[in-house]
Amino acid sequence: MLLIEAEQICRFFIAGKSSIPALSPISLKVYSGEFLVVTGPSGAGKSTLLNLLSCLDRPSSGEVRFQGQSFSNMTEQKIALLRNSSFGFIFQTPHLLMDKTVLENVALPFHYGLPVSRAVVQERCRVLLEYVGLAEMESRYPNTLSGGEMQRVVFARALCREPDVIFADEPTGSLDTENSRKILTLLKDQTTQARAVIMVTHDQEPVDFATRILQLDKITTDTSLV
Amino acid sequence: MNPFARMVLLDIYDAWFGLIRRPLRSILSSLGIGIGVAALIAMLSISEGAKKNAIEKVNSLGTHTLRVETIVSGYQGGKSDVNLSQGLNVADGEQIAQWLGSRGQVGAYVRTDNTYIKSGVNTVPATVLGVNANWFSAEDLSISSGRKLQSEDIFLREKSCVLGASLAQDLQADLFDTVRMDNFPATVVGIAIPKGTLLTEGTGLSALDFDTTVILPITSMPFVRSSGGTILLDGLVISLARLGEEEILGIAEQVEQILLVNHRNIADFRIVIPIKLLQEVRERQKIFSLIMGTIAGLSLLVGGIGVMNVMLANIAEQTREIGLRMAVGASKFRIISLYLWNAVLLTLSGGLWGTIAGALLSLIIENYAGWEIVVSTLSVFLAPFSAVITGIVFGIHPAVRAASLDPALALRDA
Repeated sequence: MLLIEAEQICRFFIAGKSSIPALSPISLKVYSGEFLVVTGPSGAGKSTLLNLLSCLDRPSSGEVRFQGQSFSNMTEQKIALLRNSSFGFIFQTPHLLMDKTVLENVALPFHYGLPVSRAVVQERCRVLLEYVGLAEMESRYPNTLSGGEMQRVVFARALCREPDVIFADEPTGSLDTENSRKILTLLKDQTTQARAVIMVTHDQEPVDFATRILQLDKITTDTSLV
Repeated sequence: MNPFARMVLLDIYDAWFGLIRRPLRSILSSLGIGIGVAALIAMLSISEGAKKNAIEKVNSLGTHTLRVETIVSGYQGGKSDVNLSQGLNVADGEQIAQWLGSRGQVGAYVRTDNTYIKSGVNTVPATVLGVNANWFSAEDLSISSGRKLQSEDIFLREKSCVLGASLAQDLQADLFDTVRMDNFPATVVGIAIPKGTLLTEGTGLSALDFDTTVILPITSMPFVRSSGGTILLDGLVISLARLGEEEILGIAEQVEQILLVNHRNIADFRIVIPIKLLQEVRERQKIFSLIMGTIAGLSLLVGGIGVMNVMLANIAEQTREIGLRMAVGASKFRIISLYLWNAVLLTLSGGLWGTIAGALLSLIIENYAGWEIVVSTLSVFLAPFSAVITGIVFGIHPAVRAASLDPALALRDA
């Protein structure tokens, strides 16, 4: 099933009278069950592309559609709801709330979007923590966890709303080989459940897990607006 | 649970944890608001106390009453005009009563202070009042046992008297007992109900404790001063019917004119108009409230700026957290709600402890300065409420700023 469709999207930033390109025009389609790995050198626009596809950012031109619906026609409220219910995020450095327990961090997406009963939330979060191998750590605080464990908490959080697409921006960048492999296995596992995974990386290892690889080239030109 | 209530509770919960994460900063920020609120409560309490005091005084003097007292005349450094008139007299009272007609009644009295009253073996110092028959109704003094003095007592110069409540108790005197003022005997025909003291402080009127007073017919009063066959009075109490403030002031002016004409334009009397005192009190109260309100408002403003500052600092530190919340589905509205609750909780906590501190401060002022203080229910609710409003006003800008962050940039914040 076609989940995401990007049509000639590009992104540039304005600095004074100059326009700095962050992503050259690109079109792509992402289907459910796909593990798309986006690679390329630094400055090629990998993270920018991920942000545009997940609607964390808006393209300077072109259009992104999710299940046929264009992001540009959606209200802020609708986009927030979409990110909550259909997208899961994993970042290079594990973004966790340090004053909340592991369980509370996993349950954070339930603070937003459609209401779910407390019992269901707890049950789902515990199942996910067990799935990522952190069942015993639900009451611990993030600062007592290792980098790999924190990334697995983030992974559990990304899954708790049962998203259609998981966006992973260099999720293994700060992990050792063993933890890196664990995360990649977990991500790969998701594609068997009809989810799409879009992952940005400059490592070689994730490429082995990909069903498709998108190679971006470095953008070098600055365009003058005048 | 209602989804909106659930959302509010979650935001309050998150906001609270956000605050206790940086306890010192939050406490200092709430301190600013707390001090403002404490100042507001204390100032309102002082203002309320002053108002209550003034109203009690006016009520004691009678809101629909005019009080006229003779100014004790004497040698005035070469000006002899004061001695040309000898103050109020019975004829003045009768003329005013006639002019007033049904609009009011005039009580006339003479008084002697520190007279020793004897009943049996008990001797007590008291004030002796010689009054006309209308004095009781003019002063609204009721009797607990026996009767008031009546016109017959005045006309027949009866040696009868009414005792103030505590005087009767001190003398252990009962109805029909004889009490003696020096060598002057009088039969007790009535005992007044406790009425307390006339609150004359600051008005220029002589103080009077009704409960330690012996009241005699003016015609039976020993040692009265008279001039030209008419008794010279110490004062008049003019009780007016239920009239409006302006009418009362008009009557007071007329009474003054009548007396000035009678006394050859010599102001040997003093008119005290309680309703005018009340107006002055209201006017003073207005200015007082304005000054107090401005000071308290400025305190809250300073506190509010402190809260805004802390909020902006928090948001700068929590940029990544805001980005994360947006990534997991927080709308702009929810981010605004979270940070507004942050500000409201800060100011509300400041408002609550400020209210307690303000009430304590009021008590301290009452004890050390001796001012009457009233901590009103209104101020107890108004002060935390104004703190919350301050929180909302000063929290809106930081909250909107937080919600305006670009999630992609916020997530990248180091």
